[in-house]
Amino acid sequence: MPRLLSTALSLRRDPRLLKIPPYISAFCIAIGVVWLLLLPLDDYSRRTYVSENALLPGQVHTYFGGSEQSIFRAFRHEVDLLASKNNFEVNDKLESILTGFGVKVGRQNYTYHSAGEIYSGENVYGILQAPRGDATEAIVLVAAWKSIHEQLNRNGVALVLTLARYFKRWSLWSKDIILLLPPDSTTGTQAWVDAYHDAHDSKYIAPLPLKSGALQGALAIDYPFEHRYHELHIIYDGTNGQLPNLDLINSIVNIAGGQMGIETTVQQMAGHTDSYQDRLQTMLRGMLYQGLGYPTGPHSSFIPYHVDAITLQPAGEGWHDEMAMGRVVEGSFRSLNNLLEHLHQSFFFYLLMQKNRFVSIGTYLPSAMLVAANFTIMAIFLWVKSGQPIAKREATDKPKGDISEGKGVSTTTPSSPPTVERNLLSPLALVATCHSISAIPLFVFNHLGIKTLPLAFLLFSVLSTALPAIFSFVIASVQKPTAQFFQLTKSFSLLILGVSLATLSTLNFSLAFLVGLLASPLTFIQPTKNLVTRLFLVILLIITSPPVVISSAAWTSGVTMSEVLKAASLGWNVWGMYTPIIIWCVWWPAWLIGTTNTLSSTFKI
Amino acid sequence: MKLSGLSFKAIVASLLLASASVAEHTSNWAVLVCTSRFWFNYRHLANVLSMYRTVKRLGIPDSQIILMLPDDMACNPRNAFPGTVYSNSDRAVDLYGDNIEVDYRGYEVTVENFIRLLTDRVGDETPRSKRLLTDDRSNIFVYMTGHGGNEFLKFQDAEEIGAFDLADAFEQMWEKKRYHEILFMIDTCQANTMYSRLYSPNIIATGSSELDQSSYSHHADNDVGVAVIDRYTYYNLEFLEAHVQDLSSKKTVGELFDSYDYEKIHSTAGVRYDLFPGGEEAARSRLITDFFGNIQNVEVDRAKDLALEEELVELSKTIAMLRKREAEEDAARHNVSSIPARVPTAPPRKIQGAKALTEDDWWTKKVIGATALAGCALLWGVGTLLEA
Repeated sequence: MPRLLSTALSLRRDPRLLKIPPYISAFCIAIGVVWLLLLPLDDYSRRTYVSENALLPGQVHTYFGGSEQSIFRAFRHEVDLLASKNNFEVNDKLESILTGFGVKVGRQNYTYHSAGEIYSGENVYGILQAPRGDATEAIVLVAAWKSIHEQLNRNGVALVLTLARYFKRWSLWSKDIILLLPPDSTTGTQAWVDAYHDAHDSKYIAPLPLKSGALQGALAIDYPFEHRYHELHIIYDGTNGQLPNLDLINSIVNIAGGQMGIETTVQQMAGHTDSYQDRLQTMLRGMLYQGLGYPTGPHSSFIPYHVDAITLQPAGEGWHDEMAMGRVVEGSFRSLNNLLEHLHQSFFFYLLMQKNRFVSIGTYLPSAMLVAANFTIMAIFLWVKSGQPIAKREATDKPKGDISEGKGVSTTTPSSPPTVERNLLSPLALVATCHSISAIPLFVFNHLGIKTLPLAFLLFSVLSTALPAIFSFVIASVQKPTAQFFQLTKSFSLLILGVSLATLSTLNFSLAFLVGLLASPLTFIQPTKNLVTRLFLVILLIITSPPVVISSAAWTSGVTMSEVLKAASLGWNVWGMYTPIIIWCVWWPAWLIGTTNTLSSTFKI
Repeated sequence: MKLSGLSFKAIVASLLLASASVAEHTSNWAVLVCTSRFWFNYRHLANVLSMYRTVKRLGIPDSQIILMLPDDMACNPRNAFPGTVYSNSDRAVDLYGDNIEVDYRGYEVTVENFIRLLTDRVGDETPRSKRLLTDDRSNIFVYMTGHGGNEFLKFQDAEEIGAFDLADAFEQMWEKKRYHEILFMIDTCQANTMYSRLYSPNIIATGSSELDQSSYSHHADNDVGVAVIDRYTYYNLEFLEAHVQDLSSKKTVGELFDSYDYEKIHSTAGVRYDLFPGGEEAARSRLITDFFGNIQNVEVDRAKDLALEEELVELSKTIAMLRKREAEEDAARHNVSSIPARVPTAPPRKIQGAKALTEDDWWTKKVIGATALAGCALLWGVGTLLEA
């Protein structure tokens, strides 16, 4: 045993051992990516199943239909008449309709400021009290006046009104039903949900005059078009990549498919053939939405408050009509009504491959964790390396002034090589500076007006590209940079990156994975004497710099940069989206330090 | 002893003659327990209420029925038909009717209360309606349903009763002379494991499913929105409704058990006879009304028939003789010291004690051992010799 231990200890000092970590890092990234690509296979993904016993999806007859269709047409006519009216006139009419059923109605004003624009409106909502319930719980039915694509949600609103009238006649509700009709699909629900949980900024958002019990679930209807549809598109991504409980999606897939014979799709994957390619595409699209963390519909605002919610959006050309949609909602509400406690049985962290196929966090998490681990491994390696004296073969390089064998701090055994004293001040100063100036883009992009935003971004991009050169010049002029200096700065920077991404991967897997992958070149860059290599590295780094990645992503998806910036600002100011923090305060400083390191050799070592 | 043996045979004889039976027990009780709450377990309450209806139909009064219901489905806001509980989607019979007496309800349904009820370890203040006031002449029908597993039955998501707990409770009841015979029926997943640990006499046990088998629901009512009854209970009820219409029914427990069909129940219903004196044959010949019905001391004309009585006595004597002979033969076959040829009113007790080593062939074994040792020594000696 002692011999084994001493072998292990001597192995620790083996110089060959120090060559391994960069390969381990590369290996981690490769495994992480391959892992992700394996997930759509049958062996790694699972079929979905309804886990909560109480839901009993599709076990009830739904009776919505028949004469309700005439009522629906009447309400749609009412909605059409209101099409050109303003928010308040619309709400007056909706209020009178809702009170006509004997539903209590409340209204709420709100104003949001973002990117120099004002988003204001008035929500109208009604509470249908459960005749025999105890008013401690509620489920929400949402139809925004403006659909996700800014059209008049005429069928959606008419359907909610018809359903409200229909639900009112049933006596079996155990929870109150809240009918929420916000003026738009983005800000209105957020103001309402914030106020419902008393988490609103009372300067800009009015409190709710009426409340019910704890929200147990929410369903939004986004149904602006006229023709008959083929399938129901389930939108489930919440703010910051949070997801509703999988049981909610499963139940609705079950009710729509099993009971009504309506196809369901996720992530706009109409005509999913369940092939590997389709599954992968669904998963990657889901990851992209999750990674962006941007709300995808009126349901998104509910999810941060742990209220499971989805938006149902009819799609395609088919033969299903509004009544079928109404029956899906009725069936879903009967299932939610059966709940005895919050949805908790099934998964909150999952990637959907298909409406009935998923991978859970236990299976996919290692992928992002491995990518994040590569930074940490490299950081530890560089820390160890920075403490070692320059080896004999490297001594042919210029001798370093502040490194000498005599300054060894700890010598546990006489034979162990002395640890070189690490000069921590300047590396820490550089890392701290880079991280503190990262507050500037975060502040600027979230507070500037829409007119100045694109210009600010252009300026920032130029500045961001120039900064590493400026920094390396300053460093070179202040102090002779040493190999240890580069190792330490890189080590600290990668350590922060690795820890942040590993933490983030449990909250928003996709964002952590994407940022990890885009930042992976930072692991391998180092100061080099070779001009061609250096040029190649610098180009690689500029390509993978946050501003370049963002603008090229915008360009490929056909969105203008000002729209992206406006949306990001709105996300930050209205929904509390944290993606900008990850980009500007985690990724960008790491990039800045990495690039500074690469360029430093230009300015004389 | 002689007398009780005689009367037992009289029953057998009377069964054979299909004449009016004179049961040994003097009262009938039923303990009906549902152990699950929550709306989606509607069927468990419906199971129990169906059994409640059956035993009441067959004459057991509310004062002799202990009904344990942990939840109130009739008043659940989710119930589309308020105030009712149905066990069939035809909704013909409202089980919650207007004459329901629930003895233990809501959170009173606990393992502790259940065991206290069985063993009568209850406080002085406990009302009579919450006590099982049985004696050694009482037949008890115990029916349980809920969610269970291997040797346990869950009570209200909070606790569970184990098969050993149940067995010990029954044993205490036996020791305290609290029952004459018990029919234990349980409908839950892996139900048969629940009675596997029973060791007290005079119990016939039956369950819905074997180890590692689930018990399934029979059908759902699509307006109530939940499953309304379990398969095992459904087919038990079907038999009882069809064949045990009143107390004069001569259907036996054996016939009920024979009606269990895997194709219908979708799980292997089990029966346990070995605790019953007289074993399978005697247990199977018990009338269903001995447990589900109430004993009714109605004088039947034919009971006065002296000739018949004489005949009965004669017959029972013949049976006793035959049994004695059979027992002797049995004893001879098993090469055990003869047991008194009597009807085992005290049942075979299965108590595992320290087992003494048999002393047969003691010397033979010693000799074999010594020979083996000597052989080894010899081998060793020869070995050393050869080596040297």
